[in-house]
Amino acid sequence: MIEAAAPIVVTSHLSKWYGQVIGLNDVTVTVPVGITGLLGPNGAGKSTFLKLITGQLKPNQGEIFILGERIWGNPALYVRIGFCPEQDAFYERMTGLEWVSALVRLNGAGEREADERAHRALEAVDLLDAAGKKIGAYSKGMRQRVKMAQALAHDPDLLILDEPLSGLDPIARRKTIRLVKEWARSGKSIIVSSHILHEIESMTSNILLINQGRIVAEGNVHQIRDLIDTHPHTVSIRADQPRALAREFLAADDVLSLRFEDGAIVVQTAKPDVFYARLTELAANGELGSIHEVTSPDDNLQAVFQYLVNT
Amino acid sequence: MLASSARVFDLSLGQMLWSRRSVFLGFLLGGPVLLAAAIRIVTATTPFWRFSVNGARVSGPGLFGMMMWLLYIRFIVPVLGVFYGTALIADEVDDKTITYLFTRPVRRGAVLLGKYLAYLACTTLLVLPSVVLVYFLIVPLGGGRVGELFPSLLGDLGMLVVGLAGYGAVFAWVGARLRRPLVIGLVFVLGWEPSILLFPGYLKRLTVAYYLQALVPHAMPQDSAIGVLMQVFREVPTIATSLLSLAIIIAVTLWSAVRAVEDREYVLDQ
Amino acid sequence: MPIHDQGYRRYGGQRAPRGRAWAVIAKAGIRTRLGQRAFLALLLLSWLPFLVRAVQLYAAANLPQAAFLAPTPGLFRQFLEQQGIFVFFLTVYGGAGLIAHDRRANALQIYLSKPVTRAEYVFGKLAILMAWLLLVTWVPAILLLAVQIAFAGNVEFFRGNLYLFPAITMFAFLEVITVSTAMLALSSLSTSSRYVGILYAALLFFSEALFGVLRLVAGNTRLSWISVPFDLNQVGDAIFRLPLRYDTPWPLSLAVLVLLVAVSGFVLERRVRGVEVIA
Repeated sequence: MIEAAAPIVVTSHLSKWYGQVIGLNDVTVTVPVGITGLLGPNGAGKSTFLKLITGQLKPNQGEIFILGERIWGNPALYVRIGFCPEQDAFYERMTGLEWVSALVRLNGAGEREADERAHRALEAVDLLDAAGKKIGAYSKGMRQRVKMAQALAHDPDLLILDEPLSGLDPIARRKTIRLVKEWARSGKSIIVSSHILHEIESMTSNILLINQGRIVAEGNVHQIRDLIDTHPHTVSIRADQPRALAREFLAADDVLSLRFEDGAIVVQTAKPDVFYARLTELAANGELGSIHEVTSPDDNLQAVFQYLVNT
Repeated sequence: MLASSARVFDLSLGQMLWSRRSVFLGFLLGGPVLLAAAIRIVTATTPFWRFSVNGARVSGPGLFGMMMWLLYIRFIVPVLGVFYGTALIADEVDDKTITYLFTRPVRRGAVLLGKYLAYLACTTLLVLPSVVLVYFLIVPLGGGRVGELFPSLLGDLGMLVVGLAGYGAVFAWVGARLRRPLVIGLVFVLGWEPSILLFPGYLKRLTVAYYLQALVPHAMPQDSAIGVLMQVFREVPTIATSLLSLAIIIAVTLWSAVRAVEDREYVLDQ
Repeated sequence: MPIHDQGYRRYGGQRAPRGRAWAVIAKAGIRTRLGQRAFLALLLLSWLPFLVRAVQLYAAANLPQAAFLAPTPGLFRQFLEQQGIFVFFLTVYGGAGLIAHDRRANALQIYLSKPVTRAEYVFGKLAILMAWLLLVTWVPAILLLAVQIAFAGNVEFFRGNLYLFPAITMFAFLEVITVSTAMLALSSLSTSSRYVGILYAALLFFSEALFGVLRLVAGNTRLSWISVPFDLNQVGDAIFRLPLRYDTPWPLSLAVLVLLVAVSGFVLERRVRGVEVIA
């Protein structure tokens, strides 16, 4: 078990370039324990970051510490790391069990122990029934699951999952998300890289957002949203007397704009705290009728991603 | 390192032996066996037919020696070395399975060494049975005695294993260090080595063939003008010198290949 | 119309007639290779023998002491034979991955989902390899003929050996077609260009080695048809009206080459498919 609250990944002025092209640019970041979602558009530097933290690439500048140790040229550290890569590549002629077991043996386990661990891992990803089939005959979803099985079979402290939901049907996606949360509850730390924002959101609210080789934001997605000053908050309100409410809102200077949409009022405010305080008062005194629903459509990862990446 | 290499050896040997490529190469190695069988059948069905090589009568052992030179030493062993040696890491990179090996608690150099040992075991298991079959088919012709000459067969087998080890190590280094290792490998075994062995001087020491051929007990065939020239300019180091030099070549090239693999970054095509 | 529709509009321009897709594939393949420095270096290297021969022809035409270097039909035959080593390396370098890489990337499905037939795909790929190989065989050989005329200042040699032009063309095309179809067929068998390269080397050099043994054993060269390079040599000698170097009848050598092309065609027909059905 890793020490409580010790960060799992620490990078300091980390840079990586490929010839003239810069892949990662002066990245200093601390990834805490728990589940962290790694997000970014295509070409942002996510793959480069993952390859650096899994020791496949050497930094041109800066340092990386994984679980308190340097990763490049330190194969012993891989006992504590499980990596599920994005690429769909296997030893196709091996069965799922043989493959996972062989990789566990590379971790130093004996044959029997490796077999047992492989069985457990395949059971965890719901692949025990197909364990005796050749991987070449697996469906896309099964291939994805056997990849995850090899990542967790040796019970690592840190799991790094690159697009783990790719190729999975909706039921399998839900199962995998549930598994990820279970692994986190059991004490593992997990870094998940994905393009599917709402699924990352369902796993964690702790994100690392990369764009154009730089870290754009890190931390809790709601806190990040609050800090995005340049984008006013959007609030949608359903009420008995929307027009009366609108008149009330427009009298205050914290409301930047207002529109009517599908029977609701959608307000843009630069001072969400002030706005919500006034809204609560109005709802409490009931002067302008009942307020049925208040939602914030842009207090989510999608909005954060859009605001930060598209600016 | 050795324990890790052994684990990689375990994983790789099965992959190599039962891959379609090895099965095909196994069929290729059946070529000399088929040829030997055909020769045996011809001599059995035409009892008055005698072998002569360039006009001179030759017996089974002589014919066997000639086949060893022309098929195994000049072609099969070097080409297997090129094929498997350059592919040790490159195949894993092309298949994108290298990630699984390099994210295990196993030194990258141990991965290379384990795969090299698996290559050696795999090619030994392919080549040696072929040679043994050819031996038993050919040597009895013209009165050759299989039992009497068996120790020399063992010497031949040992020499072939040394050759596979030598070429495999050199091309493991080529594959680890250079781009386009296959073309470079083919230029080396099919161009550089045959040409440079013709010339007197020290350049021939920059080949594996120079040392390997010194270990061959059979007379070199004079199958062409080049063959005759090679006989004329042939300088033969002693067996001890050859073995020592080959051991040094294997050690140095493997060490260099290990260093290359440990320092190099492998960026897979997305 | 003041406000134009920004939505999708069907292409209303001209379309090339069917059957031209092979040229698109060929052009793309050639352009890709032209961007590779190592390949260009190999191409340049393969033109060095042409320079050497050109100097020889210049010397023969202008220096009385070099009259012994006078051109003969054998010179052109020898030139083409010497280019064989470059043909081998260019074929391995430029041809091994032609279909193998597409199979590895599952691109065959994409190609064949377009209005591209399998024949067009194969001919397009064949055209890529043939272009490079003709560039180092037929083109320099014909240029050598032109250079001879230019340096000699007369067409005497050419008139005395009118068959040279068709002979060079026939042999170069025979060699290039044989080698290209064989390499393409091998490339369709695997997803690894390295493996294909070795298979090709085995086809050529192992057959030579086998013949080497048979020649010594049999005491004659009647079995030279076993070796593909020797078949090409034999047919080449026949085309250039030179004494045949082996005892094999040249029609038999030609038949082997034709059989190789036919087998290659059969392999390509079976292997180039959008979907592989595993029963």
